Amino acid sequence: MTTPAPAAGKTYDLSFARWVRDNINGGDKLNLCMQCGACSGSCPIGVQMDYGPRKLFMMIRAGMKEEVLSANTQWNCTSCYRCVVRCPRGVPVTYILQDLAAKSAEFGYAKGPHENKNFAQSFWWSAATFGRTDERLVTMRYFFSLGLGEGFKRAMANLKVALGMVKTGRMHIGLPHMTKGRKGLKAILAKAREIEARH
Amino acid sequence: MAAGQNGAGPASQTILVVGGGIAGVTAAVEAAEAGQDVILIERDAALGGRVTKLNRYFPKLCHPTCGLEINYQRIRKNPRIRVMTMCEVQGISGGRGDYKVSVQRHPRFVNERCTACGACANATEMMVDNPFNYGLDKVKAAYLPHEHAFPMRYVVAPEAIAAGEGEKLKAACAYGALDPDDKGETFDLHVGAVVWATGWQPYDPKKLDVYSYVHSRDIITNVEMERLAAHDGPTHGKILRPSNGEPAKKVALIQCAGSRDLNHLPYCSRICCLGSLKHAAYVREQYPDAEVHIYYIDIRAHDKLEAFYDRVRADPQVKFVKSKPAHIRVGEDGRPMLHGERTIDREIYAEPYDLVVLATGMQPSAVAGYRPTMGLVADEYGFLVPVEGDGEGMFSAGVASGPLDVSMSVQSATAAALKAIQAVRNA
Repeated sequence: MTTPAPAAGKTYDLSFARWVRDNINGGDKLNLCMQCGACSGSCPIGVQMDYGPRKLFMMIRAGMKEEVLSANTQWNCTSCYRCVVRCPRGVPVTYILQDLAAKSAEFGYAKGPHENKNFAQSFWWSAATFGRTDERLVTMRYFFSLGLGEGFKRAMANLKVALGMVKTGRMHIGLPHMTKGRKGLKAILAKAREIEARH
Repeated sequence: MAAGQNGAGPASQTILVVGGGIAGVTAAVEAAEAGQDVILIERDAALGGRVTKLNRYFPKLCHPTCGLEINYQRIRKNPRIRVMTMCEVQGISGGRGDYKVSVQRHPRFVNERCTACGACANATEMMVDNPFNYGLDKVKAAYLPHEHAFPMRYVVAPEAIAAGEGEKLKAACAYGALDPDDKGETFDLHVGAVVWATGWQPYDPKKLDVYSYVHSRDIITNVEMERLAAHDGPTHGKILRPSNGEPAKKVALIQCAGSRDLNHLPYCSRICCLGSLKHAAYVREQYPDAEVHIYYIDIRAHDKLEAFYDRVRADPQVKFVKSKPAHIRVGEDGRPMLHGERTIDREIYAEPYDLVVLATGMQPSAVAGYRPTMGLVADEYGFLVPVEGDGEGMFSAGVASGPLDVSMSVQSATAAALKAIQAVRNA
């Protein structure tokens, strides 16, 4: 695994750790981290991350803003919360990674067809529109967000699985499931966006 | 309180020391040698506490029997000290110079006529878990607490009496020392000051579920490692794997197993780093080809103890791995397998060992047992701290007051003895 080592002439954003503390959900607990490695050692998919959480947190402290925001760590986190449960210092690792993912997308670090970002966006689109996630629409929107050819290829590859699910009653045909009070949901989300914009 | 008013002097100048470990024994001896009457009460059947269960002290690796034996001699020679074993404090009232302490004595079933001849042990076939070896082996239901016990007197496990072995044991004793009808008793003591030296308990390793203590016999705690290495332990001093009795040639020592962890003990227990360095030395003394890996967050070998750290570090067969292991699983070959991240090179490891020792921390005994409701307060972790200037005659010593090693416990006990003497003389 390659690591961006501190190199001469490279610029570090020394205010980055402070920015994380003030702007990332759970970032105010980051200074409690004592670099023991329990989080990275516990992570079930740690080997598929550019850096484990411990290392990512050290990079935040070192001001390696570009490397942190373009890492796949925050995107590959499955939110299993094993690290949060085991952290001896009470650092909410998962929350921090989730918010780092949102912020790195917002700042344009997850450009182009990006598997995890696109899936998250498709999921959220369904949840915000219908108040429910519809497997067919989430999957289709996600597949085709990766490009027309790619979408078609993946849809065909999953056809047999989908038919099987329909046959066994695990997926329905017809209109998507929806919550009853969709007007209320829209109002709640609008209010949430308004509150977020205030900060 | 009214005691001491009008120049009448306190109702009692006797000092009660609660707990007969290294701190309690020290406080009792120091106060008595300064001329005070002292009552030393101990919950177990013999004095010595946790220290008597150690194989060696750090950093000089000398045997605890040495320091304890000197103190027992001082107790024997001093008529001012009265030792009561198998006794616990139930409650306390009054004030400085005039405390009334109610004490519960648990049945020992053996009185002071015992000569430690061992005839009672020979008379029974019943075996019980050996508390001296943390239940790693069995002992006869009528037993001497250990070979160095003070007082040198047998004790009968309550299970033996319940099983109807009492009359058989009584018949075997030629000195009339066995009393199957012993029910224990409660009585009051009147004292002028109290030193709380109630010590500690190892943190329960079962609570560290990620470290699989209950799933493998080859995962033990640091206090069990002391017994494994001791000549009077379950293996007569050979460090063998509890699962199959083979030599433990590849050993992992895990630091901060419970300590410095908000989910368990938030504080540093202070002794475990040096304890594990000592365990590395035990293993390396026995097996020239053995490998020891110490998993640590950081090694806390403060001031003069750093020399011992340097000594162990000079051994190329002892490796220091900077990592808090994430979890332990039992591998396919039955050996414990450590999983985690080596934080220096960021490698994820899965490493099998013959024996894994969890450096579990110290938890104050006052958390589980009686704790004073006056004169001292328990801090957020259960350690007993005095309230400055409250005029009370209660003091804490040793690990009851905070996580301390043996030498610091002795210092704190001497200080507590001095404060207690001042409290009763100025009452």
